[in-house]
Amino acid sequence: MSNRRDFLKLGALAALGASIPGCRRADKPVLEAFTGTLDPLHAYPYRTWEDLYRKQWTWDKVVRSTHSANCTGSCSWNVYVRNGVMIREEQAADYPRISADLPDYNPRGCQKGACFTEYVYGPQRLRSPLIRAGERGEGKWRKATWDEALALIAGKLLDNIYQYGPDTNSYFSVIPAMSPVSFSAGSRFAQYTGGVFCSFYDWYCDLPPGEPLTWGVQTEACECADWFNSKYIVLWGSNISQTRIPDAHFAWEARYNGAKIVGISPDFNSSMVHADLFLPINPGTDAALALGVAKYIVDNNLYDAPYVKEQTDLALLVDKRTNLFVRPPNVADVFFFQDAKSGKRHEAPGSMGSKEKTIALNGADPDLHYSDGEVTTVFELMKQKLAPYTLESVAETTGLSLSDIRQFAHEFATRKPAMIIHGAGLNHWFHNDLINRSLILLVALTGNTGKNGGGFNHYVGQERVWPERGFKAYSFPEGVKKQRMQNMTLWTYVHSSNRDPHLYNGRPIEHYIEESIQNGWMPLYPKNRKQKPRALIVWRANYLNQAKGNEYILKSLWKDLDFIVDLNYRMDTTALYSDVVLPAASSYEKSDISTTDCHSYIHPIGKVLDPLYDSKPDWEIFRDLAKKMAQLAAERKLAPYHDQQFGWDRDFTKTYDLWSGNGQFMQPEDGANFIMANSPETKGLTFEDLKVHPQRFRKIDEEAWNSEIKPDQAYTPFQHQVESKRPWRTLTGRQQFYLDHQWFIDFGEQLPVYKEPLGDSAKYPFFWNTPHGRWSIHSTWRDARYQLRLQRGIPIVYIHPDDAKTRNIQDNDWVKVFNDNGSFVSKVQLLPGEKRKRLTMYHGWERYLGFLQGGWQSPTVIKIKPTQLVGGYGHVNFKLNYWGPTGNNRDVRVDIVKYTPTAADLRTIRKGTKEKV
Amino acid sequence: MPEHQISMVLDLNKCLGCQTCTMACKKLWTDGDGMDYMYWNNVETRPGQGYPRNWDRIGGGFENGKLRPSEIPSKEDYGQTFEYNYAERLFQGSGLQTMPNDEVRNTPNWDEDVGALMLGENYYFYLPRLCNHCTNPACLEACPRKAIYKRTEDGIVLVDQERCEGYRYCMKACPYKKIYFNELLGKAQKCIFCYPRIEKGEVNACAKQCPGRLRFVGFLDDPESAVHKLVHVYKVALGLFPEKGTEPNVFYVPPFNPPRTGSYGKSVLEDPRMPMDYLKYLFGGEVVDVIRSLEGELHRAQNGGTSEVLQLLIGRDDQVRYQIPKHEDLVQIQGVRKA
Repeated sequence: MSNRRDFLKLGALAALGASIPGCRRADKPVLEAFTGTLDPLHAYPYRTWEDLYRKQWTWDKVVRSTHSANCTGSCSWNVYVRNGVMIREEQAADYPRISADLPDYNPRGCQKGACFTEYVYGPQRLRSPLIRAGERGEGKWRKATWDEALALIAGKLLDNIYQYGPDTNSYFSVIPAMSPVSFSAGSRFAQYTGGVFCSFYDWYCDLPPGEPLTWGVQTEACECADWFNSKYIVLWGSNISQTRIPDAHFAWEARYNGAKIVGISPDFNSSMVHADLFLPINPGTDAALALGVAKYIVDNNLYDAPYVKEQTDLALLVDKRTNLFVRPPNVADVFFFQDAKSGKRHEAPGSMGSKEKTIALNGADPDLHYSDGEVTTVFELMKQKLAPYTLESVAETTGLSLSDIRQFAHEFATRKPAMIIHGAGLNHWFHNDLINRSLILLVALTGNTGKNGGGFNHYVGQERVWPERGFKAYSFPEGVKKQRMQNMTLWTYVHSSNRDPHLYNGRPIEHYIEESIQNGWMPLYPKNRKQKPRALIVWRANYLNQAKGNEYILKSLWKDLDFIVDLNYRMDTTALYSDVVLPAASSYEKSDISTTDCHSYIHPIGKVLDPLYDSKPDWEIFRDLAKKMAQLAAERKLAPYHDQQFGWDRDFTKTYDLWSGNGQFMQPEDGANFIMANSPETKGLTFEDLKVHPQRFRKIDEEAWNSEIKPDQAYTPFQHQVESKRPWRTLTGRQQFYLDHQWFIDFGEQLPVYKEPLGDSAKYPFFWNTPHGRWSIHSTWRDARYQLRLQRGIPIVYIHPDDAKTRNIQDNDWVKVFNDNGSFVSKVQLLPGEKRKRLTMYHGWERYLGFLQGGWQSPTVIKIKPTQLVGGYGHVNFKLNYWGPTGNNRDVRVDIVKYTPTAADLRTIRKGTKEKV
Repeated sequence: MPEHQISMVLDLNKCLGCQTCTMACKKLWTDGDGMDYMYWNNVETRPGQGYPRNWDRIGGGFENGKLRPSEIPSKEDYGQTFEYNYAERLFQGSGLQTMPNDEVRNTPNWDEDVGALMLGENYYFYLPRLCNHCTNPACLEACPRKAIYKRTEDGIVLVDQERCEGYRYCMKACPYKKIYFNELLGKAQKCIFCYPRIEKGEVNACAKQCPGRLRFVGFLDDPESAVHKLVHVYKVALGLFPEKGTEPNVFYVPPFNPPRTGSYGKSVLEDPRMPMDYLKYLFGGEVVDVIRSLEGELHRAQNGGTSEVLQLLIGRDDQVRYQIPKHEDLVQIQGVRKA
C-alpha cells in the first residue's frame, strides 16, 4: 500500500505537471506581463489554475469515527478517504444543541485529533506480530504469524494457571469509556481465565479520593456546557486551555456572559492569561487557601445555613472524648443532631442505618452550634480547626497577596452560582484527599453543590461510562464478585523495589499495607504471598512508560515478570519492553463507542478502512486468543482447574464459548449494541443510530448517577439529593466532611486540614512537576512528528530564568535532573511564567525518544497514603477505580545541573538519521 | 477593487494556543512535498520571536505609498523540519535513542508560552496568523510577473501556481511574511483563505476546526455579518501593523491579561500586566480605546448587565460566527442585503 506522503507527492506534482506542461523558468520569457495592461488588483484573466486547490479539497468517502486516547474529549470526527488512503480528519461538529441559551459543543476536537492519520501510517505503527529476539527494550524482534504468537500466549497463560495459580496472570487496560467494547474484550478474557484485573483511575491519580470520602461516589461532575451557567468559575489546578481543549470555550464564553474567572496555579499558564484574577499560589498549599476562604465564609456568616443543615453532616453530634459520632447503642449507622426547635436530640434521617430514605428535615431545625459538656457539632469542631487559617496566615503560606485573596474569598461567597473546576494540578499531590475535601467544603458551605453552574467539578481521566449497567454486564459477565480486582498502586508497590522511606506516625507504610490486607480492606494478588506475578497483558495502555517509580520497576518487577504481552497499534515504551507484541487496529480501523464526563452524548468509533497491514481490532485479538486457549486445552486434555476462591471449576476448552456468550457476541458491534440496549441512558439506540450524529442520553441509571438528564438543560450532579432530598451515598447520608474512622482520627484528618507537601526541600530544592499538556494525551501523540515539529522536537524541562541563572543554565542547554530515585537528561527551556523552585516537564514523553538518560518518571517513587488503604467504613470500601490508594507523584523534589554531552551522547544526538516515512 | 471582501475576525481573548488551526491547515493544504516548513496558518506566543523569526522587524509593506521590500527570511528563521530514526530504535535494535536528524535550534513555535516579564510578572498571549488578504496587497504590487491577484468576487489574494516564476519579490514585500517558497516546485505559496470551501459556503478549515471558537468569518461589506459588526459597528477588532499600509482584512479583538498581583479590581489601563505600548506596537494607537471599551463591556456583563458585543463574541453556534453565502448566491444575496 502506498502511504500518505507518496500519495500526496504524486497528487501535487501530477496536478501541477498536467496543468503546466513544460513550464520551467528557463522556458518562459521573463516579465512578459509588463508588456500587457494586466492589473491583477482589479481583474485577472488566467484563473483556470484555481482548480488545483479545488481538487485538493475532494474525497471519495467520509466515515465518522474518533480516537481512543483517554483524553476526556470524546470528540466526533469525520475521516476523509481518497484513493483508499485516509488523508485527513475534520471535526464532525454536529453535536445537537442542548438549548438556545447554551453555546453548543461544536467543533469538538484538538490539534492531536486533527493529525491522527499521521499515526495510522506512521513509522511507529505495528504491522505484524513480533516476538522478542534481544533483551527487553532493545528493539530486536522476529516476525511471527498470528497463530504462533497466540499459541505462545495461550500456552504460557495456561502453564501459569495450572502451575502457579490464575492470579499470577495480570491484566491492565485503562478507561473503558473511551472504547468499552475493546476494553471488555480483555476483561471478559480475564474473567474467564481467572486473571487479576488491575485498576487504573486511582493508579494514575485521576481518582479524586475526596469524592468517595465526602460524597460516596467515584467522581461526579457537571458536563462542560454547564460552565456557561456559572457566575464565578475558579480554575483550581486545572489548565483547561491545554487539557480541556474542546471545552475551554465554555469558560471564556461564560466570562462574556457575566462570569468572573479566577485562575489558581503556581505558573502563569495558558488558562491564566484569560483569567480576571490570577493567584500564583505556592505549590501544594491549595488546601490552606481553601480553608482560609472557608474561615472567612464562616466568620462572616456567608454560609448557606439551610443547605448546610440539610445537605451536610456539619450539624451532626460528635462525642468530645472519643471524637466519634454520637451513635445509639446497639444500632448501626444512625446519627443525631440537636433540634433547635424542640431543644431535643433528633435522629438524622437518611443515614445508612436510618429507616428513612430521605434527608428532608420535616420541620426540624438542626442546631449547627450546639455544644455541651459531652457532645458538640461537626460545625463547631470545624470552626476550631479553621481557627489558624486567618487570611494573613494563609497569605503567608500560599505566597499570595492578602488583598487579592480577601476579594477572592468575598466574591466566592457572594457570587452565585460558583463552581470550582479541579484538575490534576491538585489531584496529583500526596494529600489529594485533603485538598479535595477542603475545596468541596467551600462549595458546600455556599450551597453551590447540586446546582447548575455550581459545584466542585473534577475532570481528570475519561472515567465516565455513561451506559454503565450494560457495560458492567458486558465487561464482567459473571459479575464483579467473580473477578479478581486489584488496586494497581498497591500491586506495583508491593511487587517492585519501590520503597517509601517516609514514616507515617512513626511507622513505615508497609505496616499499614499489611494491616489493610489482613483486615480485608484492600486485596492483594497473588493471594499466595510466596508467588510473584508472572504474566502481564497490557492493552489500550502504556503501563511502563507512565508508571511512577520507573527506575525501581525496571530493576525489579520488570525482571520478575517472565512474560509480558502488549496489544498496540504503535510501538510505545511498554510494547518495546515486552516479549510479544500484537498489532492492533488503530481507532480508525475498528468499531466501538465513546462517552465522557465532559458531555452527555454517545458517538461511535467507526471503521473507516479495514485493519491495515496484519493488524486486528483488539476485540478480535482476544476472541482469537480465547479460541486458541480452548484449542490448546483440548489438545492437552486439561482437566478443569478448580479455582478455590470462587468455587469455580474452570474448563478451558470452553474459553471461547464463554467469552463469546455462546455465540451471542460475534463482532464488536454486538458488544456495542448489548451495552446500549442494557443501559437506561441508551436504551432504544443502536450502533447504526450513532453514525447519524452523536446522540444525547435519554434517561439516567438511578443506581449510577445523581441527577436526571433533562432535554434542555446541562447535566449537573446531585440534584437527586439537593432537589429531591434523597440521601447522599455516604455513611451519614450527607455530604460527609467528618470521618470518624480511627485511622483518620490518628492522623488528625477527620476534618479537612492543610498538610505541607512531603519531601526534603533542603536536599532537593525543586518540586518536580509533570502536568498534562496540550501536545499529548499522556504518551499518545508524544512521539508524533507533526506534533513534535511544533514544539522543540524532544523533551523539555521548564525552569524560571532566575533559577536557571543560579545553576548557570542557558536556554536549550542539556540538563540533568536528579534525586535519590533516579535521573534523566533532557533539554531545558527558560520559562518566565514558571514558579521559582519548581521544574516542569509536560508528562508522557516516551522513554525512547529524546532523553539522553532516563525518563520523566525516573525521579519518582510510589508513595501510598495510609488513610487511602482504609476500608470497612460505611461508604469507604475497596472498589475497582472507586476507592483505593492513588499513585500520586507531585511531592517529588529534585535538583538540576547543566549537562555536557559525552562523545557517545554526541553520536546519539547527531545519529538521528533521516528515515523514509 | 473587489466587489466583495471576505474577512476574518479573531478574538484573542478566546484563543487557547492549541494549534488546531495550524494542524487543520497543514493537513489540508501544506502536507505535500516542499511544504514541510510551511504553516500558512500558525499560532505564535506574543511577545516573542514569531514565525518566521523576527518577521515583524524585518520590513515590507508600504511607506508613503512606496514599497519597502526587505530581506527574505532564512531557512533557519522558519525553523527546522526534522525527521526521526524511529525504526532504528524500535524495530532494528540499534541501541540508539530516537532523535531528530539534527540538533534542534529553532522551530515555528520555539518560544511557546514564554512571553516576557515586566516588574517580575509574566505576560503573553497567543496570536494566530494567516495571510491578511489585504485590500492593498504589497505582494501583488511587488510581483514582476503579475502572477498575484485579488479575486473580484471575494477579495481573496492568490498566487497563480501556473504563472508564478518563483522570483520571491512577494516574500520581500509582504510585511507579515506570510508567503512561502516551495523549492521543489519553484513557486511562491500561501494561504488561499480556503477558497474552494468558501465558494461552497463552507468556512475555512482553520475556523471550522477551531475549538476555541474565536474566529468569525463573513463578508466585510455584508452589514449583517458578524465580521462587519465587530469591525465597523462595535469597532472592537483591529488589523496588525496598520502603518504598513496594506489594509489587512484579518482583524483581531485585542487581548488583555489579568491584573498584576495585588491589583485585582484595577483597570488594565491603570495598572497593566501587559504593557500597553506593546499592544500599540502591534495594533496601532487605536488599541487603547478598544481595550477601554472591552473592559467596560466586560465589567457591565460581570455586574449583572448584558453587553451586545460580548453576546456576539460568545458565538453560541456557527450560524452566529459565520455568514458565508455560496458563491453562486453571492451577488444576489448581497444585492438584497444592500437594498
